[in-house]
Amino acid sequence: MKNSTALRALFLQFLKFGCFTFGGGWSIVAQMKELYVDGKGHPDLPGRGNLSVEALLDLTSIGRSLPGTMIGNIAMFYGYHTMRPAGGPLWGILGGLACVLGMVLPPAAVLALITSFYTAFRDNLWAAAAMRGVRTAVVPIVLSALLGMLRGAFRYPPCLAVALLTFALYFLWNVSCVWLVVTGMACGLVICEFYERRPRYAHPA
Amino acid sequence: MPILLKLYWSFVKIGFTSFGGLSMIPLISSEMTSHGWMTAAEVSDIVAIAEMTPGPLGLNCATFAGMRTAWLPGAAAANLGVLTPTLTLCALAAVFFEHFRNSRRLAQIMTGVRPACVGMVAGVLISLSLVNYAGGGAASLPAIALGLLNLLLLVKFKVSIPKVLGLSALLGLLLFGVLGL
Repeated sequence: MKNSTALRALFLQFLKFGCFTFGGGWSIVAQMKELYVDGKGHPDLPGRGNLSVEALLDLTSIGRSLPGTMIGNIAMFYGYHTMRPAGGPLWGILGGLACVLGMVLPPAAVLALITSFYTAFRDNLWAAAAMRGVRTAVVPIVLSALLGMLRGAFRYPPCLAVALLTFALYFLWNVSCVWLVVTGMACGLVICEFYERRPRYAHPA
Repeated sequence: MPILLKLYWSFVKIGFTSFGGLSMIPLISSEMTSHGWMTAAEVSDIVAIAEMTPGPLGLNCATFAGMRTAWLPGAAAANLGVLTPTLTLCALAAVFFEHFRNSRRLAQIMTGVRPACVGMVAGVLISLSLVNYAGGGAASLPAIALGLLNLLLLVKFKVSIPKVLGLSALLGLLLFGVLGL
């Protein structure tokens, strides 16, 4: 089996996944599970590209905790994981790049097309009315995402203070999000070091 | 700074400070409006467009902002920016995957980043509300009513986001177009 054939297979497979990643990244995880965990994988990939459920969960959870778009990170991990056994780290990285590129192209093409029509579309009176309606749905969408984020966000009591602090700094004093995320990271390290040394909190559920 | 570099750098910042889903909205909102690449209303439009089309918000926003400021080269620069953490940090993490899998430090960092994201998203939620429900200065009652209906459909009845957006477009056409409210 040639590694370049496998690279092409990865690229085409993720091109297909990329066409169906509506509403966030979870649909790509579902598609990967269907093909690589429950299904037969792809004949041109090393080991047919098959994954265990645990491996897919590991890819997903680390992909989520690293910065950047989750599905980009998952694509990079999967490509590396699949190609490295066949050709070493360099082919692993190439595999990751093939997956990321495949996954990015379909949404980019769709959005490029939409953007070219957007300006003309928006200036139409009827379209503007429809867009005003659509905008009323944006706050509820973000709010329901926020409700989902609340779960697991407050591992220790001071985490609540971190949320209030970043809210105040962002909303009242316009502090840049870059600094707020860095502040959050620092607070996380301090809070965890403090609580993990106290026996009562040593092993949080 | 040349425009392509500006776009790239803006989206590098957005990429490195976003941890999943809509947590990138606060920085996208401030970067886009401060450079004059989008108005506040357009930020809302792009969130809605991103939810209706394939692809995550960050990439869709990059394409939208890039296309509007410097056409295809702009879209490429902005997409490359938002993917920079994936191409650097994540590629490194793939090579040293075993070290990352059970990393205590990563878990500690995320313990602080998650509540920080909650705080920022709560903040941007208020700014977005001001734009979407009181666009012309005064609060718009039909818009607020439509917003509450959407919230109910999403949270209580678990209607999918594309359906809610489609319904909002139809109701917007009726309320703001036909009835002229």
